[in-house]
Amino acid sequence: MLDTVIQQLLNAAQLGAVYALIALGYTMVYGTIRLINFAHGDIFMLGGYIGFLLVTAVSGMPLVVMMPLAMLLTALVGMLIERVAYRRLRNAQRMSLVITALGVGIFLENLVRLLVGPQARQLPAQLPNGVVELFNGVVVTEDKILIIFISLALMVILWLFVHRTLMGTAMRAVADNKDAVQLMGINLNMVIAVTFAIGSALAAAGGIFFGQAYSIDPYMGIDLGWKAFIAAVIGGIGSIEGAVLGSFLLAGVEVLTVAYLSSNMKNGIAFGLLILLLLLRPNGIMGRPELKKV
Amino acid sequence: MGLLEIRGLSVAYGSIKALHGIDLRIDEGEIVSLLGANGAGKSTTLRAVSRLLPFAEGDILFQGTSLAGLPPHRVVSLGIAHVPEGRGIFPSLTVLENLKLATWTRSRKGSAAALYRPVFDLFPRLEERKSQPAGTLSGGEQQMLALGRAMMTDCRVMLLDEPSMGLSPILVKEVFRAIREINAKGTTVLLVEQNAGMALKIAHRGYVLANGRIVLAGSAEELARDQRVKEAYLGNRAG
Ligand SMILES: Nc1ncnc2c1ncn2[C@@H]1O[C@H](COP(=O)(O)OP(=O)(O)OP(=O)(O)O)[C@@H](O)[C@H]1O
Ligand SMILES: [Mg+2]
Repeated sequence: MLDTVIQQLLNAAQLGAVYALIALGYTMVYGTIRLINFAHGDIFMLGGYIGFLLVTAVSGMPLVVMMPLAMLLTALVGMLIERVAYRRLRNAQRMSLVITALGVGIFLENLVRLLVGPQARQLPAQLPNGVVELFNGVVVTEDKILIIFISLALMVILWLFVHRTLMGTAMRAVADNKDAVQLMGINLNMVIAVTFAIGSALAAAGGIFFGQAYSIDPYMGIDLGWKAFIAAVIGGIGSIEGAVLGSFLLAGVEVLTVAYLSSNMKNGIAFGLLILLLLLRPNGIMGRPELKKV
Repeated sequence: MGLLEIRGLSVAYGSIKALHGIDLRIDEGEIVSLLGANGAGKSTTLRAVSRLLPFAEGDILFQGTSLAGLPPHRVVSLGIAHVPEGRGIFPSLTVLENLKLATWTRSRKGSAAALYRPVFDLFPRLEERKSQPAGTLSGGEQQMLALGRAMMTDCRVMLLDEPSMGLSPILVKEVFRAIREINAKGTTVLLVEQNAGMALKIAHRGYVLANGRIVLAGSAEELARDQRVKEAYLGNRAG
């Protein structure tokens, strides 16, 4: 009994970690340019594929090399998308930007399907998959623990970056007042590019972990992207802490629903939770009221 | 040649022209006041100088170099700081973070305490409140923060857009005293105001803008005595 509860909690933490790695990109981009970047789920997918292609190209490439490299490459793609597709629309109607983002997402899905194929792939297991005994009889797998731990470490690094560095301060300032950011002598385009880069890199980490824990396919970003988006909204979009909180909350509810009710009810419960929470707290758990001017 | 020169500047919002070829010159060390009624084009002028707005015709020269084509952040690194209408502080950041961002383009050598000293000496209240979110400051304190940020950029010219707006008479006096002190320490000031009485008390020279055109220019004393300025901006006090 205790064993299954602990296993379920770990499953929830692992899924929540992946949600959070994606949700952070949604929330950061929304925080700076007020765009719900609907291509972001597909950037997560792309990150998983870049990792897959790297280990396929260089067999035996260890995760400590592959993951930072895949994150870097995905960050560059994220910056490229912002530069090519979004920047010139920054002052256009928001709907144009949202439709463009949807288009970019569809483009990425089809690009990967064309280049790599539509079938699901398994990322070669690169994490140690031994078991650790927590206490009498309760064992957990090492890869799960590592995924949770590395994800949390990335989130802590992000938090420190955003709150302790000048660039992070500038990113928070963009959410307050874009004109004033420029009047401080700050290159606004550069700050926004960095925001996309970081969000994309984190999503890539999520994609690789997802591929390690489950599998990857060109459409995985749709479902996971929506879930992470819901998590970000539940937590309060624009808030980094909120995105993490919402992700673990949503994953917990999902895993518990599957374990103790029925897997068919998983999405129903997830969306129900979103609606309920937004009725109670329209700005999300950690949302700042003045941030919601959509 | 002036430190900052505006030559034949025209700016339009879409098809509506807001400035019709204005000329303006600011010399090193001056406080120059730009006066005018609502909608005259004062803010438009400042936003064109800081390149937040593109300009259609004319040119803006800083130390003889054209600002045309520069992005706003480059204008700041040249030494022009713009305190916008409404102050433009970052409410969710602390006072200290607001000040720190303004050091983006300059060197931050030396101790942090020494870096912020000039601002905290001028505005001790900001030091007391340095760790609180700027959004929780009073209107007067927010204006001080906006001025403090401009100081932190290490600028040679400050463009101030209605710093007295929404402040009580006591606070207006305090803000104007600070502007005078900033100027006394060597910063040139272009001061946009509707409060012409106060502005002309501290300015050396002034311009009056009406419907996007400069209609009057002269020394502060001349303008303060000018019947048209009195009627339009100083209230109808005889004598
Ligand atoms: N974003 C904008 N779009 C269209 N027209 C604008 C815009 N901003 C200003 N204008 C117009 O340009 C003209 C000049 O405006 P500006 O803000 O420069 O005036 P101002 O002298 O600063 O006035 P105030 O004292 O009220 O601040 C006005 O007629 C105004 O309506
Ligand atoms: Mg104005």
